[in-house]
Amino acid sequence: MSLFQKIGNIGKIFRQNGGLVGSYLKLFRTDDLKWGTLVGEDKYGNKYFQNDYYFMGRNRWVEYPLSVGHDYDASQVPPEWHRWLQYIADEPPSQLPLPKRKWMADHTENLSGTERCYVPYSTTRPKVEAWVPPKNNL
Amino acid sequence: MATLKVFSTRGKIHSLIRQGLQPLCASQQIRTNYVHVGQKEEKLEWSPIMDRAATSVFWNELFKGLGICFAMILKEPATINYPFEKGPLSPRFRGEHALRRYPSGEERCIACKLCEAICPAQAITIEAEPRSDGSRRTTRYDIDMTKCIYCGFCQEACPVDAIVEGPNFEYSTETREELLYNKEKLLSNGDKWEPEIAANLQADYLYR
Repeated sequence: MSLFQKIGNIGKIFRQNGGLVGSYLKLFRTDDLKWGTLVGEDKYGNKYFQNDYYFMGRNRWVEYPLSVGHDYDASQVPPEWHRWLQYIADEPPSQLPLPKRKWMADHTENLSGTERCYVPYSTTRPKVEAWVPPKNNL
Repeated sequence: MATLKVFSTRGKIHSLIRQGLQPLCASQQIRTNYVHVGQKEEKLEWSPIMDRAATSVFWNELFKGLGICFAMILKEPATINYPFEKGPLSPRFRGEHALRRYPSGEERCIACKLCEAICPAQAITIEAEPRSDGSRRTTRYDIDMTKCIYCGFCQEACPVDAIVEGPNFEYSTETREELLYNKEKLLSNGDKWEPEIAANLQADYLYR
């Protein structure tokens, strides 16, 4: 990797991230500037990129949609793409879609700390119930 | 005076003995190649003095350090940028639990309670009743995720692949009670993660 190639990569990075202003905003949001090919996009707006110029662990990455602002979270990646992003599979779901059944639920991010968080409850009737005194035979 | 003489001759005798013995002792080692590791004495001629003065006046070491910093900025980092990049994971990864369903949508768990029996942390609680159609199903399937040690014995014990430890590890919560999973939560985990769980089981089928 010569110095000229590195300078060329800097040019590629600026072009892909939308010029100087776009690169500044991207750097502000993701702390990193990279260039790569767009592998796919899921229905939540996450974009997935790959560039094997970077070493493994850095060669696949996700860009969260701008609609989530700075509340991006790793749990926003749906399972199909999670499999590709965590290097369990090499084929992205855009190439090799995983089987879909009608009872499967939509992906949700980790809802802890929000109003829709999971609250545990008992799924059975209580074994011991309190006695309610009869009221009408006074 | 006599003691002084003894001391002065002792050195001579010693060297004589050494020289006499040297050809006899073939294995004797004489080390001459020493490296000085202590602080070197500063030379006090004019040109080294000027060199040292220039080093401190022009902040040579500071600029060298800054140069190394700048080189490290241009270097590719050795760490990954976590929420955007993620590390490699095995298909056998044991993360958040999920209860699976058959492709028809019927829940797999038959309440055999093998997972409850094998759980070394006793994190699983199961109660079962026959359902209205006569099949045996759980009414309560609770996992205390704060007790769970993620050993994976439950998924090993399960005869119908109902309880599995999925690939998700991003389920940290803000309160402790959110980690006390009940059956509905486990089933909904299964419904969400089933595409990946099934694919991971498929990838590992030769070893199961």
